[in-house]
Amino acid sequence: MKIFYIDTSSSYLYAGIAQDNKLLAIVKKDFQKELSKYTLSEVAKLFKAVNLNPHDIDKIIVVNGPGSYTGIRIGMTFAKIYAWAFHIPITTISSLDAMALSVETSKLVVPVIDARRNYVYAGIYANNSLIFKNQYIKLSNLIKYLDSLNQDYVFVTNDLNLKLSNSKSYTPDILKIILSFKNKENINPHLVEPNYLKLTEAEENLKELANYDN
Amino acid sequence: MNDIYILGIESSCDETSFSIVKNGIEEISTVISSQIDIHKKYGGVVPEIASRAHIKNITFVLEECLTKANLQMDDITAIAVTYGPGLIGSLLVGVECAKTLAFLYNKPLVPVHHISGHIYANNLVKRLEFPLIALVISGGHTELIYMEKDYSFKKLGETLDDAVGECYDKVAKVLELEYPGGPKIEKLASLGKPTYDLPIPLNDNSYNFSFSGLKSAVINLVHNEKQRGNVINKENLAVSFQEVVIKTLTKKTMRAISEYKVKNFILAGGVSANATIRKSFQELLEKEKINYTFPSIKYSTDNAAMIAASGYYAYLLGRRADLTLNAKATDELN
Repeated sequence: MKIFYIDTSSSYLYAGIAQDNKLLAIVKKDFQKELSKYTLSEVAKLFKAVNLNPHDIDKIIVVNGPGSYTGIRIGMTFAKIYAWAFHIPITTISSLDAMALSVETSKLVVPVIDARRNYVYAGIYANNSLIFKNQYIKLSNLIKYLDSLNQDYVFVTNDLNLKLSNSKSYTPDILKIILSFKNKENINPHLVEPNYLKLTEAEENLKELANYDN
Repeated sequence: MNDIYILGIESSCDETSFSIVKNGIEEISTVISSQIDIHKKYGGVVPEIASRAHIKNITFVLEECLTKANLQMDDITAIAVTYGPGLIGSLLVGVECAKTLAFLYNKPLVPVHHISGHIYANNLVKRLEFPLIALVISGGHTELIYMEKDYSFKKLGETLDDAVGECYDKVAKVLELEYPGGPKIEKLASLGKPTYDLPIPLNDNSYNFSFSGLKSAVINLVHNEKQRGNVINKENLAVSFQEVVIKTLTKKTMRAISEYKVKNFILAGGVSANATIRKSFQELLEKEKINYTFPSIKYSTDNAAMIAASGYYAYLLGRRADLTLNAKATDELN
């Protein structure tokens, strides 16, 4: 069984192709602001490197967020059209789930993505299972909550500007991610959608206004 | 020669659209998913909401387009996509989709400028005849263009500030009309008389336009009348405003037609759906015996049929993009 993985939820392109328990090829590259420019050509190179045709893939795993809104849509547009066009089973996973898998520890694992204005996207995992659902949360509230748990924890993040102590940087273990999620339930490609974890500002303002009116 | 089928993709603003056009002139199928109802409650297009809707709709619209055409992706000769100008987040969804299809099906990828799309919307009505003058009027553009042949665009002039459609929307806001205000102003104008005196903007010898002064004049007029306790006659103000717009557009256009000695004229862009503007041009053009084409009403606003039509000529000229094609929020037409 050949599985294709793609994550464009940050400024990095993380992609890979695995066959059974073996990783055939991967790409992990920071494209900064040029992710949209290079994602497709890098993916094409990936297939070429292992001499595979896109038709040869049996399943697609795509990260659907949270993270950079524009970034998420690059990988997801590709994965969605790909699955739709070639009738390839597809499933989505959270960027935070993928991040949590990168650390082996008995401590709580807390993947964190900067959502600006002192907010983050985060989740809390104990032994790879989620104990605090993925959410958009004020960083200080997350830390308060973590401290109330009275357990050791470690942050996983690539956002150095958050200045978190006891944090580990994130490099995905793509094979581990693929093996962990290869049996996750498939989704109809038409319904594959980003999970932004946050409304747009305009929607939030409108909601606030409605609450105020009430 | 074999027939050439171009799949067009348009997502530069708030319409997700796919279309298949044969040989640049024959529309096979077009599907447009408009987000107008989503953006209405915000009084205008919200870029992030537009991007989110594009990715949600994209495979539904593409599938419907192919089904309607009774064609498979394998029947498609090349993929043409709007790469800009427009809202960057929205454009990116269409561009990624186009690149993905080009990669999966090994098809040529043709980048299309959004404005050339609007121009070639006319090609779906009647094959363009050259040389011609094109007037592009939309929510984002007001440009006079001279074309000697296909894909030769010489910009004679453009708006120095607001686009004409933008000006319509802003005036509509002052008159407390619901977004999008352009069509509502036109409707009101048909019921009024031009009683308000508004200045003709940039009344000079250039081919440039300026609409922000006109917009300010309307805002000031409404403000002053309110201060005096006078009630604004919206119908009369709408027609006064529209008459100034038409005078400005027709004057510079007719001068360009005569100065460049062309016999052909085309109108393009969303504002070209305005029947009063059409009628005014029609009268002047017929008097001067100028051949003209207006885009069909349904393809005045954003759609992928025009992108596929324009893409056909770009394809014939050998214009290609590789998989590193990127969206551009702004870019010169060339």
